[in-house]
Amino acid sequence: MTALIELTGITKVLKGQQQPRTILSGVDLAVHPGESVAIVGRSGSGKSTLLSILGLFDRPDAGSYLLDGQDISRLPERKAAKLRSSHFGFVFQRFFLLKHLTAAQNVSMALVNGQGWLPRRARRARVLQALEQVGIAHLAKNRPARMSGGEQQRVAIARALVREPKVLLADEPTGALDIETGTAVIDALLAATTRGCGLVLVTHDRDHAARMGRTLDLVDGVLTQRVNA
Amino acid sequence: MRRLSGRFRSALIIGLQGIRARKTRTLLSMVSLFLGVLAVVVVQAGASIANRALVSDIELAMAVDGTTIIGMPMQPKATTVVLDTVHGRSDAVAMLGLQAIIGEPNVSPVNPGASPFDEDWGGGMVCYGNGPCEPSTTVAPPGQAVEVRLTAMTGDVRPFRPLRPQTGEWLEFGTVPSMAPRLVVNLEAAKGFTRYKVPAEMRIGGAAANITPQFVGVVDDGDMQPRAYVRLDELTAWLPTANLADPNTGGEMQVLVAPGSPVEQVLTAKLKGIGSETWVQTIDAKKERENELKLFRLVFLAMASLVLLIGVAGILNVGLATVGERVEEFALRRAVGTPRMLLAGIVLAETLLTGLFTAAVAIGVSAAGLKAVTVVLGDSEPFLQGMQFPWEAGVAGIIAGLAAGVLGGFVPALRAAGIPIATVMRA
Repeated sequence: MTALIELTGITKVLKGQQQPRTILSGVDLAVHPGESVAIVGRSGSGKSTLLSILGLFDRPDAGSYLLDGQDISRLPERKAAKLRSSHFGFVFQRFFLLKHLTAAQNVSMALVNGQGWLPRRARRARVLQALEQVGIAHLAKNRPARMSGGEQQRVAIARALVREPKVLLADEPTGALDIETGTAVIDALLAATTRGCGLVLVTHDRDHAARMGRTLDLVDGVLTQRVNA
Repeated sequence: MRRLSGRFRSALIIGLQGIRARKTRTLLSMVSLFLGVLAVVVVQAGASIANRALVSDIELAMAVDGTTIIGMPMQPKATTVVLDTVHGRSDAVAMLGLQAIIGEPNVSPVNPGASPFDEDWGGGMVCYGNGPCEPSTTVAPPGQAVEVRLTAMTGDVRPFRPLRPQTGEWLEFGTVPSMAPRLVVNLEAAKGFTRYKVPAEMRIGGAAANITPQFVGVVDDGDMQPRAYVRLDELTAWLPTANLADPNTGGEMQVLVAPGSPVEQVLTAKLKGIGSETWVQTIDAKKERENELKLFRLVFLAMASLVLLIGVAGILNVGLATVGERVEEFALRRAVGTPRMLLAGIVLAETLLTGLFTAAVAIGVSAAGLKAVTVVLGDSEPFLQGMQFPWEAGVAGIIAGLAAGVLGGFVPALRAAGIPIATVMRA
């Protein structure tokens, strides 16, 4: 099966005022459709940088990045934005919900992004469908202030799912949640993989990592496979 | 095109959401911009109204823009040529100026020489019971008579000179001529007839008999002399065409010709043929007045622009502060695929909408102000009657609002577009 994502020899060097620092060093990674991958590592090990490169927020200094077999490692920003919209869904530790918008409007944000136009009715249907997938359709009209942390994170997941992405990138999505709520959030993310969506989860939580198909350790910019216990 | 439309709609939707989310800030931006836009609207409206007032005075006293006025002394031959040429035409009207005295016979009028009633210009004439008139240098006792300038017309003059009806009705040219000529007098003449109770008996030099006129209406013609308007065909029943040019009173004839009419060429050629002196003038009041007002308008617009700039600085300030607060939102929007251009568009849409709302408020306030002024001063200032808010001022307000929105939103838009996407990762 062709890998959805294929990183080969990805290197990222941070060029600051002091000595250049290698954040990622020759990272190889392949993610297949429906596969879930956990990336664990200490703070500062380069997990978020790797996720930034995967999500086309940042570019690697060396190496190749194939998405659906196409090299996108040197993509111009305009095309990168289009791919972010069509292929990726993002979930962050902080939910980044806009407090002046309702849950439905927050989810709708991913549809009103200048990458194609959906009529209002179709947009509303997609939004409700995404909210249903994460089990909070009944909160569609609520603003974030009236929702719990878990509910807010589910809204964020719905926002990531609403465009039916091929890959979900989650950066410590349970970091701000209690164990029970965190587990429910991971359930919602894993549910997406059953529909063929790839999942890359960056986490500190070994238990959540253990629920993924594979767990990779990032140590000093080098990615190694870990065998789940 | 479709993509542009989608982005435009997206920018509009998100911009409106942003405005609704930050109502107080939007209000503050509007307040800072309001005076500037209002100043532009008021200057533009003032200039348009002043221009209209000046032009309307000229239209009233002379003719509407584009009309050609052919003037000539009233001589028997010239009169015949003019009347023959304009007969039955709607694109040209001849106006013959005569002197008439209405009131008691054998007396000097209260206003010799058709002077305004509160002034004495001297001159004039006195007419006797059986018709003949002579200059009033021949002493006659003063009595109850009013002297007016009588304008006899071959057709309806109002398409050329929009005389303002005051009371009664205007002359009807489509009916059978009346043997009792119908007169429409101007405001000054109406003042005289109100002040002095005179018999309705009109004497004109050269007339076969005294005429009993019917007063049918009053108009404002902008003339300070008492004047009466009459249908020429009703007058000629009593005053033969050959006698229209009275050697005692002289008189002047004018032909008002619509733009593009062949009458001007035909008439000037014919009059030249009989050796009559003519003078031709084409009214171009708007252009002349606009040139006069241009400097004033520019000076005031420059001052208004300065006030507007202060408003722009206000929008800019609020815009930069808002973008600073919304860094995460913009980074997140980029993360979900929003292009940089659209981010800039969102910020610009917000400032443009703010500018448009402000313009709408400023235009509304100006229009309401103008309405109030017309209600309060409309009776004393005729040009204000029926005055509509000038659309040019509305357009200027919208342009000022949009320009302020672009100027005030440009830098914040650039800043929003440049927010690094990784901000959401590091948060």
